[in-house]
Amino acid sequence: MDRKQLDAWLKAEQRGEDDAADAAFAHLFAAVPKVQPRSAFVEQAVIIASRWRARRRWMLTVAWTAAAALVVAAAVTALVASPLLGGSFVKAVAFLSGHTVPWLVAYASVALHGWLTLGHVGAVIAAALITPGRAAAVVGVELLGIAAFYALHRIASTERLGDAQV
Amino acid sequence: MAVQRSDAELARDARSGSEAAYRELVARYATPAVNFTFRLVQDRALAEDLAQEGFLRVYQRLNTYDPERKFSSWFFQVLRNVTIDYLRVNRLPTASLDALQEEGHQIAAVDRGSASPEELAGRGELAAAVGAALSRIRPEYREVVVLRYQEGLTQPEIAEILGLPAGTVKTYLHRARKELAEILAGQGWGPAPAEPTAGKAV
Repeated sequence: MDRKQLDAWLKAEQRGEDDAADAAFAHLFAAVPKVQPRSAFVEQAVIIASRWRARRRWMLTVAWTAAAALVVAAAVTALVASPLLGGSFVKAVAFLSGHTVPWLVAYASVALHGWLTLGHVGAVIAAALITPGRAAAVVGVELLGIAAFYALHRIASTERLGDAQV
Repeated sequence: MAVQRSDAELARDARSGSEAAYRELVARYATPAVNFTFRLVQDRALAEDLAQEGFLRVYQRLNTYDPERKFSSWFFQVLRNVTIDYLRVNRLPTASLDALQEEGHQIAAVDRGSASPEELAGRGELAAAVGAALSRIRPEYREVVVLRYQEGLTQPEIAEILGLPAGTVKTYLHRARKELAEILAGQGWGPAPAEPTAGKAV
């Protein structure tokens, strides 16, 4: 990097010659030293990657082992314990379903009735309030909102680094 | 004579579990990675940590790399995402000139009493002045300058990495050079006056 390269670039910038300035600056900037990593950097990166791979392998092994153990345990339980527990289990299910299902059906009927009533009220209000003009106004406001959101998103995308000024 | 394997081939082998291929890939990109992150965070130790994080992220996602795509573009995109994620969570203070000096940068102030800019340029201070000026421009300008002029990426490649239109990248480069020129001119590195020709000499 020497003074002539700097002058060539600065003069090209002053004259507004973009391509010439680009080429001159590229030539000048090539001499700016790069920040070098420490000598152990590569080895450290390889070690980190291999540790991650080993950990992942271990977790997969544990997950598969646990899944297999659960399947085996479930099979053993089904084979050994089901004849002993089967009768009482069926009785319990029958008792619970007999006492809870009718209540659930009753509550669901009440809820459905309430919902339908609300639906009717909403439909009546909507029919009274909504005119073509009002509907157009609502759509317009929504479009404005979408446009504002899009503009905000673009600004945020452009400024995301600037926000974290370093 | 051994033929150097391409980045895509190394990535494929590393994905298959080749530690040697991954080591070669890291060796190729260690300096660009640390240099790029340093230009954004202005802290050497942090830059190395982020570069390490970037390499790990790359390793974890090698199965998503498309060999049809240029590896360097994909790599810098991943690295940049790691850095941006860090900067979003950890707001960094503005780098002071003193801090930059401690990091090894020579500040570009020209002591005209002791030496002319021409003499200082010979001792490499111009390079340090450009490096220090780079740290003073906006981060988004800084990253396009590093990717374009130090890593040699094209404007479309930079646009892909940054997720910006190519026209915006061109504008950023133009503005970045303008700002750098203004900073350097303000520090006494303006264009040298034209030498008088012999015929016009009085």
